[in-house]
Amino acid sequence: MTDFDIGKGKTIGIYAAVIGVVYLVLGVIEVFGGAGDVIPGDLFGGLALVVIAATFLYGIKDTFDGDHKGLSFIIGGFFLSAVFGILYLLLMGADGLMFLLGEVEEFSVLADFRPAIWMFILSLPLAYLAWGLTKDVTW
Amino acid sequence: MSEVLGEDPEVILAERRYDAIARIMESAVRKEEGKWTFTDMLDHVFLHRALGIPLFLVLLWAVFQFTFAFSEPFMVMVEVFFGWLGGLAAAGIANPQLASFVADGLCGGVGSVLVFVPPIFMLFLALAILEDSGYLSRAAFVMDRVMYKLGLHGRSFIPMISGFGCNIPAIMATRSIESEKDRMITILVNPLISCGARLPVYVLIGGALFGAAAGTAVFSMYVLGIALAILMALIFRKTLFKGKPAPFVLELPHYMVPTAKTAILHMWERGKLFLIRAGTIIFVVVVLLWFLSVYPWAATNGGEIIENSYVAGLGKAIQPIFAPFGWDWMTSVAIIFGFLAKEVVVATYAMLLGTGEEAVGDTLVSMGLFTPLTGYAFMAFVLIYVPCVATIGAIWRETNSWKWPVFTMVYLTVLAFVVSGLIIGIGRLLGYT
Repeated sequence: MTDFDIGKGKTIGIYAAVIGVVYLVLGVIEVFGGAGDVIPGDLFGGLALVVIAATFLYGIKDTFDGDHKGLSFIIGGFFLSAVFGILYLLLMGADGLMFLLGEVEEFSVLADFRPAIWMFILSLPLAYLAWGLTKDVTW
Repeated sequence: MSEVLGEDPEVILAERRYDAIARIMESAVRKEEGKWTFTDMLDHVFLHRALGIPLFLVLLWAVFQFTFAFSEPFMVMVEVFFGWLGGLAAAGIANPQLASFVADGLCGGVGSVLVFVPPIFMLFLALAILEDSGYLSRAAFVMDRVMYKLGLHGRSFIPMISGFGCNIPAIMATRSIESEKDRMITILVNPLISCGARLPVYVLIGGALFGAAAGTAVFSMYVLGIALAILMALIFRKTLFKGKPAPFVLELPHYMVPTAKTAILHMWERGKLFLIRAGTIIFVVVVLLWFLSVYPWAATNGGEIIENSYVAGLGKAIQPIFAPFGWDWMTSVAIIFGFLAKEVVVATYAMLLGTGEEAVGDTLVSMGLFTPLTGYAFMAFVLIYVPCVATIGAIWRETNSWKWPVFTMVYLTVLAFVVSGLIIGIGRLLGYT
């Protein structure tokens, strides 16, 4: 007896696994010095991405098995993804403001568009799917 | 017993207590059938045995990134305003002593502290959002297991978190701890929790020395404070207050989306204390500092030659104490005046360096007052050494004895020297200057 439709669970599980693995790779790259402008080196920022990855990956097995606990980790992972995505969007705004105030000489949207922002955008459909599935959960 | 059970008996008792509560709840409370709440879902993740603490640390790091980086442009705006005001006063007041007082003392000194209103308010806003969302109680729950093992009571965590704002209400909040020993330990280690008044120092030094890693440097001070508080609690538990902490039962509220109005109100309630301090104790100390830095008027040539001032004499007299850390007489003065209020450390530099608020950090670097290593050790020293006068007063009121405030001052000063010395020593071994 599963808590929700196992077919939907598998789709969400695969999506979460992909998101989790990408977060993990990005986090490790950031921890070890980054790669160009797109993935800047940031020890603690990278560790934060690794923790988000762990949260997503923790829920995969249960989601595949149709256990509602798996969805908790996917929703929790998305929550963290949103916190960091919004944080870096705010920081991008702050950098733009610094440029307008003449405190910095250049402002590059590309350099400020940190992986946490695009990963947040990529995880939005996952959250939508997982949230939809929580409505079907029965004990 | 621990060996037989494979776990601390108190922890097992606490778990059994929760099991009993769950059984009673099951029989006495009827839930909407099959309903899986948002709170159930998030609790499953945020209270997780393995993920709970990393998630807490990650969220705390996000709070400090937000505090430091997002407030930067707003700090620039305040700097520009006080710079303009100081220039106006210097140009518009004919009497040179009065002009120096208004431009350097008031605009330079008080202004240099008020520049840090944005990060302090951002920090309080972020903490208010975490608190109003219901997460902070979860953090206390997650930390309870670790804290219990280290000799602290789970309920100590809330006063410790409140200490991020100000240590005084945090020390007063320990009244909720029933066990006298648990309460005493929480009071004694609370000054190690980094209050809002220390943030300006971290932002100034971190921003000047660590560039893009400034947010992480600031975050590390908060983590260092928590780690030291836990370490000292463990030591106090093993020596002064022997015994085990009382069991901890905590009711967790439902998660909620914080409203902007409540979060802003909470931010204002905590942040206004900083503004009040800026208008009272910091103002008085800044006036005293201005006096000591420009007099004797003739010898300093109206504050131009600070080396001849009274404050330079004081600083040079005490500087040998801090010489092993590579700190000069200005830093020695900043440490001494920081005892009155930690924000004064920043005002002291603004006054002694004779620069506008916007240039204090750059001047610290260009004058070679700090290297990243000595600057980091200084940040740690400011975190640990004697808390401000008001906190000492709060400890005295709450313990009803002078013995504990004096003990707190002594142990924190010794600890500050030890930790800063270790930072310098290990840093030098690693090849830093």
